[in-house]
Amino acid sequence: MATAAGEQHHKAHRAPQSGASSKNSSSKKKQGTSSDGKQQNPKAFAFSSSVKAKRLQSRAVEKEQRRLHFPTIDHSIGEPAPYVVVVHGPPKVGKSLLIKCLVKHFTKQNLLEVRGPITVVSGKQRRLQFVECPNDINGMIDTAKFADLVLLLIDGSYGFEMETFEFLNILQVHGFPKVMGVLTHLDKFEDVKKLRKTKQRLKHRFWTEIKEGAKLFYLSGLIHGKYPKREIHNLARFISVMKHHPLSWRAVHPYLLVDRFEDVTPSERLHSNKKCDRNIILYGYLRGCNMKRAAKVHIAGVGDFSLAGLTSLTDPCPLPSAAKKKGLRDKEKLFYAPMSGVGDLLYDKDAVYIDVNDHFVQYSKVDGENGTSVRNGKEPDVGESLVKILQTTRYSIDEKLDKSFIDLFNVKPLNSSNDANVSHDKTTVRGEITSNNCYGQEHIDPIDGESFKASDKIEKMNMTDEIELEDSDEENDYHDEDDQQILFNDDQEAEFHNGRMRRKAISNFEDLEVSEEDEEDNQLTLSSESSGGSGEDTDSEGGNDSKWKKSLIARARMRQNTNLMQLVYDQSSSNPATTGRVTEGSNSEDSDDEEFFIPKNEWDKRIIQKPDYDDINIEDCSKLVPSLLKDWSSEGLISVIRDRFVTGDWSKAARRGEVGDAEEDGEALYGDFEDLETGKVFKNQSVDDAKGDDVKEMEDPEAEERRLKKLALRAKFDAQYDESEISDEEDDQTKGKKFASGSANASGYFDKLKEEMELRKQTNISELNQLDEATRVEVEGFRTGTYMRLEVHNVPFELVEHFDPHHPILVGGIGIGEDNVGYMQARLKRHRWHKKVLKTRDPIIVSIGWRRYQTIPIYGVEDQNGRHRMLKYTPEHMHCFAMFWGPLAPPSAGIIAVQNLSNNQAAFRVTATGVVLEFNHAARMVKKIKLVGYPCKIFKKTALIKDMFTSDLEIARFEGAAVRTVSGIRGQVKKAAKAEIGNRSKASGANIKEGIARCTFEDRILMSDIVFLRAWTRVDIPQFFNPVTTSLQPRDQQWNGMKSVAELRRENNIPIPYDKDSAYKPIERLPRKFNPLVIPQKLQADLPFASKPKNKLAQKRPLLEKRRAVVMEPHERKVHAIVQHLKLIKNEKMRKRQLKEQVKKKEYEAMKAKTEQVSKKRNREERRDRYRVQEKQKRRTKRRVGEA
Amino acid sequence: MKTSYMKLRGSQYFRQRLLLSTLSSTPILVEDIRSEFTSPGLRPYEVSLLRLLEKISDDCTVEINDTGTKLRYKPGVLIGGKSVVHDCGLSRSIGYFLEPLIVLGLFGKRALCIRLKGITNDSKDPSVDTFRTTTLHILKHFGVSLDGLELKIESRGAAPLGGGEVVLVVPIVPSSLTATTWIDEGMVKRIRGVTFSTRVSPQFGNRMVFAARGVFNRLLPDVHIFTDHRSGQSGGRSPGYGISVVAETTTGCLISADMAVSHPKTEIDALMNFEEKSELMSPEDVGTQVASILLEEIEGGGVIDSSHQGLLFLLCALCPPDVSKVRVGKLTPYSIGTLRNIRDFLGVKFVIKPEPTTNTVILKCVGCGLKNMSRKFS
Repeated sequence: MATAAGEQHHKAHRAPQSGASSKNSSSKKKQGTSSDGKQQNPKAFAFSSSVKAKRLQSRAVEKEQRRLHFPTIDHSIGEPAPYVVVVHGPPKVGKSLLIKCLVKHFTKQNLLEVRGPITVVSGKQRRLQFVECPNDINGMIDTAKFADLVLLLIDGSYGFEMETFEFLNILQVHGFPKVMGVLTHLDKFEDVKKLRKTKQRLKHRFWTEIKEGAKLFYLSGLIHGKYPKREIHNLARFISVMKHHPLSWRAVHPYLLVDRFEDVTPSERLHSNKKCDRNIILYGYLRGCNMKRAAKVHIAGVGDFSLAGLTSLTDPCPLPSAAKKKGLRDKEKLFYAPMSGVGDLLYDKDAVYIDVNDHFVQYSKVDGENGTSVRNGKEPDVGESLVKILQTTRYSIDEKLDKSFIDLFNVKPLNSSNDANVSHDKTTVRGEITSNNCYGQEHIDPIDGESFKASDKIEKMNMTDEIELEDSDEENDYHDEDDQQILFNDDQEAEFHNGRMRRKAISNFEDLEVSEEDEEDNQLTLSSESSGGSGEDTDSEGGNDSKWKKSLIARARMRQNTNLMQLVYDQSSSNPATTGRVTEGSNSEDSDDEEFFIPKNEWDKRIIQKPDYDDINIEDCSKLVPSLLKDWSSEGLISVIRDRFVTGDWSKAARRGEVGDAEEDGEALYGDFEDLETGKVFKNQSVDDAKGDDVKEMEDPEAEERRLKKLALRAKFDAQYDESEISDEEDDQTKGKKFASGSANASGYFDKLKEEMELRKQTNISELNQLDEATRVEVEGFRTGTYMRLEVHNVPFELVEHFDPHHPILVGGIGIGEDNVGYMQARLKRHRWHKKVLKTRDPIIVSIGWRRYQTIPIYGVEDQNGRHRMLKYTPEHMHCFAMFWGPLAPPSAGIIAVQNLSNNQAAFRVTATGVVLEFNHAARMVKKIKLVGYPCKIFKKTALIKDMFTSDLEIARFEGAAVRTVSGIRGQVKKAAKAEIGNRSKASGANIKEGIARCTFEDRILMSDIVFLRAWTRVDIPQFFNPVTTSLQPRDQQWNGMKSVAELRRENNIPIPYDKDSAYKPIERLPRKFNPLVIPQKLQADLPFASKPKNKLAQKRPLLEKRRAVVMEPHERKVHAIVQHLKLIKNEKMRKRQLKEQVKKKEYEAMKAKTEQVSKKRNREERRDRYRVQEKQKRRTKRRVGEA
Repeated sequence: MKTSYMKLRGSQYFRQRLLLSTLSSTPILVEDIRSEFTSPGLRPYEVSLLRLLEKISDDCTVEINDTGTKLRYKPGVLIGGKSVVHDCGLSRSIGYFLEPLIVLGLFGKRALCIRLKGITNDSKDPSVDTFRTTTLHILKHFGVSLDGLELKIESRGAAPLGGGEVVLVVPIVPSSLTATTWIDEGMVKRIRGVTFSTRVSPQFGNRMVFAARGVFNRLLPDVHIFTDHRSGQSGGRSPGYGISVVAETTTGCLISADMAVSHPKTEIDALMNFEEKSELMSPEDVGTQVASILLEEIEGGGVIDSSHQGLLFLLCALCPPDVSKVRVGKLTPYSIGTLRNIRDFLGVKFVIKPEPTTNTVILKCVGCGLKNMSRKFS
């Protein structure tokens, strides 16, 4: 891709010479510049302050750093899978119409109905897959998991709806793909001003939700029931240049969006039991990361399954071959939408199916059921009855063949050599229900007649032919188009099934519709017929035409390479300890001619390995104790390893250390046929790299290293260049600045990291491309972007029965350890738009990773000492922990929680969002427990406490626990009290009360004290989870899971239980009466007098001094009056003086302020003068220094 | 959800099966463990290993039937931990336990710091010296920094009675290992080594060194072998001596060999009686033999010696999905078994290509992309 991008010449921009735009652009330019082309005031934007400059710089750096993300290595090699464009919006907003318009734009073909994913070739390097998001929350969750780009359709006349926000929240949790808004229904506005205002308002609301400057499209009205061509063109342009970044979850999990679905259950099983478990086949492009044969998958809404078969198919919608030309030719504007019923040609592994419209066919099956209506009175002829007999067969042809085994050549029945291969022969005689067939093939076109339809179909057929031809052109030039036409005319085999006819085309040559696996099989049969069992088992690329190329030696060489691998891996079939996987065929074939062509060192190895294989109980010991040691004192031996030491020959050793040195030697010896072969094979995979690799493989490793580095650098530059381009698009204002800062940062840690990753990727590519196809698939799995065929067995029949192509099927690969169940701890926050707080133990439906399931969470917070305390309800505006049981998801996986799945709910359905923190099997959530007891007998500091425990066993559990009284006296539980101690127990006799604990306190407690024991108890988290199997029921029906307690109460009219003790009552506290202190007589006698209680009786009458009144004499009264007058006068004088002083002070302060101002001004002037002089002096000295 | 067990047979590759089962969290069911033997069932050291796994992981379940011929193991979450102590028993040496432990420690919730008690050196398993000098350094190539990695030999214990004690510290990997291309074996530039001797004459060490140097000095002058004589408490409970040598190449590869000599188990009585002790291999012989083993390893080629092949392949398979490329000498039966186990548990297949000119084998694989799942996300 990189090379193609490098070669492509972009047309240079030519500024408009005339017209309105030319004037515009020129006038804009002139504003900023003066007439002579210079900026008017260059100093205006220079830094005036160093502090400010520093601050600006640091801010720029900060912004730059915030923009950076930890680089992720992109493991995908070769052509990327089509990008999934999900069109989402509330009902009746125009989703299907938009898809139809876009498909029309890209392919020039009319789509009648949007069902399932629609793959479209949008450009020379890019394919798109359009999916309409279903309108229920489960569908929204699933689509959010595979969307690469989301078109959010918003009804402009109505405004935002809840679905949009819900979907945005779901997207954010499952990795945020690219989002574009599209406003529709804008023709409802009549007032232009109102329209503009609404646009503005919606745009800003959209921005707050996604980011400032997020793209929002406006589709203004409909023209002939379609969106305007120009606007669709613009939208399509945006879609086809959009950059997609790998999302963290998806980059490490393989997944497919199923675009074709088939039921391949043997028809006999279906006949016997309609509701038997089905075998299905799922087709789709592999995305995310490579997928291995032994992978387990999760089908969203169904469950986990292990794959019964995984094969790659030829791409039904390939990218155009990379020829130098601009744009796409019409022939290359392919589109593929089997669920929508347009590609009437279906390619399976070993067959091509042509769908024929219902009314072209006469159903014999229908005939049998209500035949009288169709052909009345006629006798059924022989052929018909034969066909009917065939239809009602009980056993498949396979089974019959198996039973009647014919031994022709006295050889074992051939099995496919590929171990994980599906039983390919089963596919030949199976009943198939493709999605098209299930849901009818009614292309009811009101305008056109039938004849047109037929011709249309043929056209399509031809089109697909040609694509295939182009692909196969490279390999076999001698097949021409006529041959292929024959294919569809001559070799046909009608297959009747379920009252429908499918015509199966059997071809003479394999390359057209047979995938690699079958080629291999064919080849195997061929070779076994001719030579009696000398098949190639590992190289799949060895077609019939290439056989002549291989000399005997080359083949022997091949075998030698694979032999060690076979020795290591294939032996397990004879090894009883592990599960045998490998067929007998390959082994026997190997053994007969291996004796002749075994290199010497190979033989040695085998001898070493020979023993111990059959022993399943060999000692587990990593050290291999050599049985016979050589005598290293002899000179001959030492000379052998002399060059392995620094004292030896350095040049020889250096040669030894190099990679692939030996390989190349060997290859030179045996000829380089393989290289040609591999080069050819890899051409499909990665067009640009393969050739270069193979040519340069011959050169020395240093050159190889250099080449890799160069490639990495180029890729890095490309990435950087693209990035800057994006940022340019995002905001034009800061274009220059950003670019500059980006290049300034180029030598940083970040770039080093990026370069390292790129180098790693290039090494991976070159290393893997050296391998042949079959080995490569085994080593790294199927690459992303290949069209896969997944066979899954034992799927509930409901999936097939309730299959609806409007609801996309997501198949996600399960990573290591993700199929286990356990307790998970998550950080969760109630969504602020959800009305209520969440209650512990109320079931919620969570979506983590690929899965959706219902579970019962326990909420909690972490206390300061690290304790996880249970909460009954989630906090109002805070994060909290949630612990629940379910299939484990790796830490940092996003969670979205929903409580209600119903569609007609007006409120916001997303309940909470969060992230998985860790999983530990032992759940450690605790809640507080408070045991209350009362003393029943008090000794000095020991007391017997009753009512705290119910049995002695319980006390034993709490021995040593801390207790406390209400008054704060601390203590400890000691042991269960003996029954005899209690006075009452003796009295009652028979029933001795258990559960009386002996406690000691730091002080003597009172009988009226209450004793508390505070403890923490583990809360058990319910081991419950329930997969949300929405795909196993009709789509319009609502999924019913576990109900919450409140819901059950409401349904069954059960009142909320009321505990009288739990009700709050006003607390009545009686005033406590203390008894008087009594000091014993004897003690009193010993006390000193001061401490002795003075036994004086309280006096009833007040003392005489207080009781008597004082009457003044006349003289005295006069003196008293005069003194009072004098005091008054003095006080008045003082008050006046104070007032005056205040006024004076104010005046003084005003004056002082005035003088201060003056002096300040003077000072400033003085200082300025002084500085000026200083500055001058400094400059002068500097100049002098400069001159000197 | 019902747990589906992976069915296995026999006691072979017991450690690897447990290790891989734990890492890939696949429950396993091992049947027919020495069922035809006169003393059937699990050996004490295997039981000890299971106990060790229980100690460092959370909620793993181990079920063994009455005769010990059937084991059901369901792995839990690896916890690690600060002060874990494990008595390895006397039937196998500590090296047996260290080999799986070093990989398990990398993928735990917390760093692992464990004290292991038992036999430090014997001839069956790699000695602690080799482990310290060579095995820990292999991890360096997979992106694990050597700072947190440590093996401290507190005291040594030779075969029949043990009494040794080591402390192993393994840091956790933050997310995953990094793939490596490690094919340049280089030339041997120096040879280092260490001898140990417990409860024997301190002269034994020097005699071993002398003998080993005699072989090496014809090839290389830079040979330094240290002696480590332990007496008293740190010398364990039974006499023994041995040597571990490491050859370092110009590219930093370490090739090691070790050997230890002590009285076999049956002679404990004889030891107690202080009678004429049975003949042990003389220190000179030990020295020359170790030297020849090392030279043989060097002759075999590869970036590591034969006993570390299994560990190397395992680490390669645990890498993120990048291509790892390593060069080893002849594949040992144990490493072939390892390759098969890796295929069964992790689904990783190696491309194995012999190089006839150098008699080495180059292995390539794409890692399984194992992430440290038990680590807490914050």
